[in-house]
Amino acid sequence: MALSTQHLLGIKDITKKDIEIILSTAHQFKEVLQRPVKKVPSLRDVTIVNLFFENSTRTRMSFELAEKRLSADTLNFSAAASSVKKGETLLDTVNNILSMKVDMVVMRHSASGAPHFLAKHINAAIVNAGDGINEHPTQALLDALSMKEKFGKLEGLKVAIIGDVMHSRVALSNIYLLKKMGAEVMVAGPPTLIPKYMAQALDVRVEYSVKKALAWCDVANVLRIQLERQNQPLFSSLREYNLAYGVNRKLLESLDKEIVIMHPGPINRGVELDSDVADGPFSIILNQVENGVAVRMAALYLYSGKDISES
Amino acid sequence: MDILIKNLNFPTNVYKDLSRGDLLIRNGKIDQIAPSISLNAEDNTDILDAEGGFLSPGWVEIFSDFADPGFEFKEELQTGAGAAFQGGFTHVFLLPSTHPVVDNKSQVSYIKDKSSRLPVELYPIGAISKGLEGKELSEMYDMAASGAIAFSDGKTPLQSAGLLLKALQYVRATGGVLIQMPFDKTVGTYGLINEGIVSTQLGLPGLPAIAEELMIQRDIELVRYTESKLHFTGISSARSVDLIAKAKSEGLRITCSVTPHHLLFTDEDLKNYDTNLKLNPPLRTAVDREALRAGVKNGTIDCIATQHFPQHTDDKVREFEYAKNGMIGLQTAYSTLNEAISDLSAESVVSLLSQNAKDIFGLSAASFEVGQEADLTIFHPAKSSTFTKPVNKSKAENSPYFDKPLKGKVLATISHNQMTKN
Repeated sequence: MALSTQHLLGIKDITKKDIEIILSTAHQFKEVLQRPVKKVPSLRDVTIVNLFFENSTRTRMSFELAEKRLSADTLNFSAAASSVKKGETLLDTVNNILSMKVDMVVMRHSASGAPHFLAKHINAAIVNAGDGINEHPTQALLDALSMKEKFGKLEGLKVAIIGDVMHSRVALSNIYLLKKMGAEVMVAGPPTLIPKYMAQALDVRVEYSVKKALAWCDVANVLRIQLERQNQPLFSSLREYNLAYGVNRKLLESLDKEIVIMHPGPINRGVELDSDVADGPFSIILNQVENGVAVRMAALYLYSGKDISES
Repeated sequence: MDILIKNLNFPTNVYKDLSRGDLLIRNGKIDQIAPSISLNAEDNTDILDAEGGFLSPGWVEIFSDFADPGFEFKEELQTGAGAAFQGGFTHVFLLPSTHPVVDNKSQVSYIKDKSSRLPVELYPIGAISKGLEGKELSEMYDMAASGAIAFSDGKTPLQSAGLLLKALQYVRATGGVLIQMPFDKTVGTYGLINEGIVSTQLGLPGLPAIAEELMIQRDIELVRYTESKLHFTGISSARSVDLIAKAKSEGLRITCSVTPHHLLFTDEDLKNYDTNLKLNPPLRTAVDREALRAGVKNGTIDCIATQHFPQHTDDKVREFEYAKNGMIGLQTAYSTLNEAISDLSAESVVSLLSQNAKDIFGLSAASFEVGQEADLTIFHPAKSSTFTKPVNKSKAENSPYFDKPLKGKVLATISHNQMTKN
């Protein structure tokens, strides 16, 4: 049951077998979450710090809940990226916290590669909770678990990732994971929001028509428009974005098949996704959130370095 | 300083038709050059056996940052000069991006005065625009008269075509050369590494090569219009090499330089988020690197510009996005070049590191006549050298080369009656 890496920095760095181990462990933890007592002692003597250098609600709550369900001791730290730029360095911050005998670090950071930098300088295990526009590995894993539950397997599945691909770490992690597991991937959205070398770099299909993408896929993972990460305007208005690239009920009904709708949240309702779809029968968005806790329990448990036979 | 250097190889473009011989220096001046020189038994002048080494006029570095005055925590004139001398350089052109900016006579004089006792000749590059703001022309005429070697806005190239046009016209009065490190800031403004397959895989915003190529195309037209002289430094893409080759073939007075590291590394080397390889212009693809190597060999690229850009450790040992650009490189320039292009002729090394820069920027050609002050570099393409922290003369440590053996070694540098050996 050994994993190939010490840290969970990104899906890019782990193997298909690693992914399978994490998903099957998550499946077991999901069963724990159905019990009347939703808690196991697996990480009873492990202390985990949640370092959030960038705002987060759902990911942070999901990690914290996962840690509590595993009986770990938790410590929370949050700072806006700007205060880090001005004051204490990332390495100083982390080393100070580790001096208090912390075993694991969960980190979200606005700079791509920040957890990789940290991994070169500290010994504690790191779980990446999102770095810049690079990766968000636990999101891809929970998406994978949700798709697997719905379709039974990932191999051969056609997944369209729609929207702000350029600024999305969810997109990159999902692409790496789905390709490793044998799924087919298409990205779709406005050309200004899709990196020029996407197809060559990641072996995915690129489509600029959302309608065509929806007609092709089994699952559409609709991304949040990352207005906060766009330094310069890349489309003219939210209204026009919704007209050209928004996913709505009418569009889905025009297809000759049923597809599954996912979204990593938080949703910009009426921009990338209309409410009649988000709350509609094809959406598995709340299943994704539920699976998030189980997947994060699995990741924390496996990357804590504790021998699985102990519990 | 007296020394007898034995068994030197003379590249064909260095000294008459002598291809191999000895060189005697007495009191810092060339005393004798001959196929073989023997000393009297009682003469205890030091002897350096340079077997396998080649003689070159002292090397010229045309675009480095010694950060003095204003940023002495990164580098000082003395430490930078020490690194240059150790690396084979006896002439170094310095960027104007100090604090205050070198945009007037007194800043030019400060550098000239403070460097007068150093073994290396330092030449300030004056700012084209006041305060490097890209808005108004600085007093280039006055700076040229005080010793500014060329003009450039350094790491922040002139974005305004109108202002560059005026500057190109203005320096015609003094025969001056402008230097642009070409990139259009409005393209890939937030980019961190070359836009391509690697940037997409690493989730890093890209700096497209077109940002550089657009400015080269624009500036070529400005040179055509003004009939002035422009040097592009740090070109990094295959298309840039093509554009410059074409402009040269049309007779335009355009020259260019490349850094040694762009000849050795590609963006693939950034997969580990190594901040020492975070550069502007960024490392590009293997195709670009091959085009740069070809440009060096066929003479499209005139000079090697080390672009020794020191940065403090705190600005490099941090998140990739926040790390500053640049690397030091004066002590590793030759071995990097030799490692990257192992079949480079000794004549090409002399042209790329010394002769062409002297021609372009109007420095007097080196002469190995008897009685002249010795200003020379001896390099050995077959010996290997390893750059280590104890031998690093720079104040900064932002180098990817530490403890990595490279093929090619600078055996000795002599200038201003001083010598250093490696």
